[in-house]
Amino acid sequence: MSIVGTDRPRIDADDKLRGATRYLGDLKPHGLLHGRLVLAMDAHATINRVIKDAALAIPGVVAVLTAEDLPTAMEGPMRQFEPLARGEIVFQGQPVALVLAETEAAAEDGVEAVIVETTSHAAVLDLEAAIKPDSPLARIRQIGGEMEGSAAMHVEAAGEGEGAPAPAAAAAEPVSANAKGPHRQQHGDATAALAGSEAVVKGTFRTSWVHQTYMEPQGALAIPEVDGSVTIHSSTQGAFYVRGMVAKLYGVDVSTVRVVGAPLGGAFGGKFNLIDPLVMGAALAVGRPVKLQLTRSEDFASGMPASACILELELGGTKATGLTAFRSRILLDQGAYGDWAMDGAVPVMIGGPYRWSAWDSLSYGVTTNRFGTGAYRGPGGPQVVFALEQLVDELANKLGVDPLELRLKSAAVEGDTGVDGDPWAPVAGREVIERTMQHPLYKKRGSLPANEGIGVAAGVWMGARFPSAATCRVDQDGGITVVTGAVDMSGTNTSFAAIAADTFGVPIESVRISYADTATAPHAPPSGGSGVTYSVGQSIRLAVEDAKEQLLDFASDQMDVAASDLEVVDGMVRPVGSPDRGKSVAHFAEQVTGFVATAPPIEGRGRFAPGNPSPSVACHVAHVRIDPATGEVETLDYAVIQDVGKALNPGLVRGQLQGGAVQSIGWALYEELQHDEYGQLLTGSFMQYAVPRADRVPNVDVDYIEVPSAIGPFGAKGIAEAAVMAGTGAMANAVAAAVGSRIRELPMTSPRVWRAANSR
Amino acid sequence: MIPAQFAYRRATSVADAVAALADPDAKVIAGGHSLVPMMKLRLARPGTLIDIGGLPLRGIADGAEIVVGSLTSHADLAQAAAFAAAGLQAVAECAAAVGDVQVRNAGTIGGSVAHGDPASDAPAGLIAADARIRVAGAAGEREIAVDAFFQGPFWTALGEQELVSAIVFPKPAAGSASAYESIEDPASGYPLVGAAALVTVAGGRVTAVRIGVTGVSGTPFRATNAEAATLAGAPVADAARLDITGQDVFGDTRFDEEYRRHIAAVVIGRAVERAIARAQGGSQ
Amino acid sequence: MSDQDTALHRVTLTVNGTSRTLDIEPRTLLVHALRNELSLTGTKIGCDTSQCGACTVLIDGRSFKSCTVLAVQADGTSVTTIEGVGSGRELAAVQEAFKQHHGLQCGYCTPGMVLATVELLNQNANPDEAAIRHGLAGNVCRCTGYSGIVDSVKAAAAAGVGK
Ligand SMILES: Cc1cc2nc3c(=O)[nH]c(=O)nc-3n(C[C@H](O)[C@H](O)[C@H](O)COP(=O)(O)OP(=O)(O)OC[C@H]3O[C@@H](n4cnc5c(N)ncnc54)[C@H](O)[C@@H]3O)c2cc1C
Ligand code: FES
Ligand code: FES
Repeated sequence: MSIVGTDRPRIDADDKLRGATRYLGDLKPHGLLHGRLVLAMDAHATINRVIKDAALAIPGVVAVLTAEDLPTAMEGPMRQFEPLARGEIVFQGQPVALVLAETEAAAEDGVEAVIVETTSHAAVLDLEAAIKPDSPLARIRQIGGEMEGSAAMHVEAAGEGEGAPAPAAAAAEPVSANAKGPHRQQHGDATAALAGSEAVVKGTFRTSWVHQTYMEPQGALAIPEVDGSVTIHSSTQGAFYVRGMVAKLYGVDVSTVRVVGAPLGGAFGGKFNLIDPLVMGAALAVGRPVKLQLTRSEDFASGMPASACILELELGGTKATGLTAFRSRILLDQGAYGDWAMDGAVPVMIGGPYRWSAWDSLSYGVTTNRFGTGAYRGPGGPQVVFALEQLVDELANKLGVDPLELRLKSAAVEGDTGVDGDPWAPVAGREVIERTMQHPLYKKRGSLPANEGIGVAAGVWMGARFPSAATCRVDQDGGITVVTGAVDMSGTNTSFAAIAADTFGVPIESVRISYADTATAPHAPPSGGSGVTYSVGQSIRLAVEDAKEQLLDFASDQMDVAASDLEVVDGMVRPVGSPDRGKSVAHFAEQVTGFVATAPPIEGRGRFAPGNPSPSVACHVAHVRIDPATGEVETLDYAVIQDVGKALNPGLVRGQLQGGAVQSIGWALYEELQHDEYGQLLTGSFMQYAVPRADRVPNVDVDYIEVPSAIGPFGAKGIAEAAVMAGTGAMANAVAAAVGSRIRELPMTSPRVWRAANSR
Repeated sequence: MIPAQFAYRRATSVADAVAALADPDAKVIAGGHSLVPMMKLRLARPGTLIDIGGLPLRGIADGAEIVVGSLTSHADLAQAAAFAAAGLQAVAECAAAVGDVQVRNAGTIGGSVAHGDPASDAPAGLIAADARIRVAGAAGEREIAVDAFFQGPFWTALGEQELVSAIVFPKPAAGSASAYESIEDPASGYPLVGAAALVTVAGGRVTAVRIGVTGVSGTPFRATNAEAATLAGAPVADAARLDITGQDVFGDTRFDEEYRRHIAAVVIGRAVERAIARAQGGSQ
Repeated sequence: MSDQDTALHRVTLTVNGTSRTLDIEPRTLLVHALRNELSLTGTKIGCDTSQCGACTVLIDGRSFKSCTVLAVQADGTSVTTIEGVGSGRELAAVQEAFKQHHGLQCGYCTPGMVLATVELLNQNANPDEAAIRHGLAGNVCRCTGYSGIVDSVKAAAAAGVGK
């Protein structure tokens, strides 16, 4: 029997299609108060006074809370430890006050009536200027304490091994307190290796702030319980993560906080404890249930988007052996809060899926008066790929070799030294590149009409490897219930059900997945870093195997057949190969769960720590046409070739890769959170911030390959983030081919393309 | 996002609506697709809303002229065969270019014209077609030529106590055809520039032309230099640059002024080309 | 403005075939009336500038963004929400097509997308890919990249939805 590997609908499809799924915004407990935020108008200012009277006079308004009203127990340099501005406003859109009211409308009326009096300070926005020793500071009051549990997760998933301390030489550049770093990775003599290369290319690249734009805005609901504990329902990627962080912030025991993950209306890395601290604090302050769901404008203004970068990169290579060495300096705008900043990881990520003989790679995280940095799918990836993959193409051009040929020669293989100094885990870069060479879209690139171009790029995501646990219960009706603490961000529950069904031997309809409730679930890591299927999937497989063993032991006694001679097929326990002698799982389940049970219930446990990553490599191929008169770019065709290890459900895998491809097109052509010189957000709604719509993108062809992982369940690898690790590069190379010159700034909007096409 | 409080009532007749507008704090609402978004953002906060949605001002009458009731939706306009038959393809194409399906189902031509949003599609078609805006006021009905109607951003010749009741499209001479071209903002879908051209071709020559331009500047305008070039058989886009030169062109950090001036000329040229091709018997 | 007029208004709607009467503030948006007053939470809110289409419903058979319609404007109309597309737990053919062809992931855009599809196929029972993409341009999906949605709409058309 094989459910794993077959294309099947999502297990949650019916409810979602009927409008029956209860998302966070659909929950309405008794006594609910609605929250609405007062957002900062200045990018950098001191708060003198918050005048609440007029708001409190509005019928239905119950409270106006500022930082002092939240019973926080600590401070820290992370956004989640500063749910409301404490004295200093550090970006426009920062929450300053929270209005609580009986209705949403009254809460909005209240927000309008709150007056925030401030004294403005210089806004720090320019990255190069900000790191100069004499730069004004984006934060006048520096907050001590450590980043924790957040960035570390993606940094690790992106490939940095043990934090590599910067060699003394790197500190040579004098910098202001706005700069964090340098983070530096060095190996061999990059200068000599570049000098000895047949060809060298270099460039400076700029990328924009990009919002995750999950369609369901951020939200959470906190309900104070009679025993003093708090239950939080949250649109979050990590139930246990939220529990730990809010408990810490408010100085309460984790046992007094229960977090229940609501079905996610998209997250993509952006939903980590942004709203939870607000509703938790508000619920503690007023003793009533409080819900806050951002509006889209609030989410644009005060969310945690992906940060902009300036990347300086220089590469060398030779015709015979491929890439040789690189040198890079990356300034990563981490905004006012670096919760999920990738400054530590980008010096590694910039090396791509390649083998190098020498490198000198450094980065600074730069504190500015923009939002805090959040994680967005493959954090750091779309930025570095835009620089690296354009230069790899330029180098191929200079060397006179096919761009994929160069990549093939340079692809890292197991055991090569990675940029973080660790040996590469097994990686199928060569296989993916070879497959891409055969793709019809790539082959077409020699014979295109004028103004069209096809571009290719490669990328890799190492994958998170968090430990996890799961349980599996056999129910009275012969079905099984798998319990996981993980949130279903990308269809993982459907994959879990397939894993459980195949492992146990029951139809998928008999599998139930209970998830993301910290009160009852085994511990699970947050859903991110493409690590959930990889780790939790394996825990579930182990838990189900354990349960099955218990069942077969029991059945063995009852049937008088050795357990090793029994199998479970389609919900029937039977001696191997004897369908007619089968007895249903329900038959046995009844005996261990019924009122007159004679044996202990069946409860399997699985625990797993992946240890090593199983990186997933992807190539994207983009075909564009430009209108040289207007600079408009039309994406005509697109293909993704990726190693997925094992497609547990081909339909879901295709969907992930297609979604990633279209998000990449958005990064490449349209998306940018822009600020003016005062730090005012200019593109804070869908009126100015363009996400790809159906009529702006083509069908995405998916051609995945399966080079099994030795670690993930059934050979699966984490796939969702590798799916955005090549797109900006492929689009840039396609546009360059169509235009005839290169654009080194994202997004490649029509004015930029027009100027490039007409060299203005 | 929820509007501020307001009072609401349904108008029972055009006269009733006009009378209600005596209250300076009152506003009519038609499709609501410009007004409600502004009210949600609290950029508009009328004291009273007079809902004219139920008045019998919907529909397209095809006679000596084409008379479009002000409550006719963009969707209905886009699908009306009368326009192509009369050589007024551009009018339907402007409607088809508005927003998306849902917006076209809700938004009305009267609301669009009355709102005077400089970024709206409709004015280009109205100008090219030399339409008249029929308005009802306390003193009865009058008609305003389109060339005198649009006066600035969100500012038209409509009196404070007047209602748009219909748009009247005269039918152009035989041998006429028109086209609308636009480049849309990939975020909002509104035109960065839209140009509609109506040409009459006789004996292989363009004998008459009107070009309306919207989106680029605070007031939709006629591209008279491009019109002259078209009549002279000269390169239209080049001449169109002159039309743009006199305009205070929108520009922002996404689509700067220089770029918008440039694409405006390109789009004007394309609209003229397509209109001529159509008039000459192509069916583009 | 008098208190009289801002006071609650009575609105009668036929929602998914059942007549419902509500007493609401005039400023109540249709989407809030459906979600908060009638507990029909299938209709979603994804933006505040009328751009995303998550709130799409049918009013008298045509698609509208219910976040941009005042409930009072809809008085006397017939409204279909996602809860009224299938019957009970049974999926309608259009929903089944989305299910089988991976027309959804997180599901947040899905109710709006399904109703936009109903409108699209009612207007054009046999759309080609370009017509499908154009017809769904008022609905943003961030998860699927639209390929699965386009496949679903094609399948729904083949199944005769809209004929
Ligand atoms: C998401 C979205 C996208 C859009 N995209 C576009 C686009 O691409 N191009 C475009 O052109 N438009 C676009 N629009 C606007 C749309 O065309 C509106 O429908 C139209 O501008 C206004 O028509 P309405 O009936 O909705 O007017 P309403 O919103 O009801 O009214 C608008 C204004 O006009 C007044 N008014 C309305 N009717 C009359 C009348 N008969 N007489 C006097 N005054 C009246 C009102 O008092 C109000 O001040 C978009 C709207 C939305 C929500
Ligand atoms: S909620 Fe986005 S269009 Fe209505
Ligand atoms: S399925 Fe998530 S937005 Fe469409």
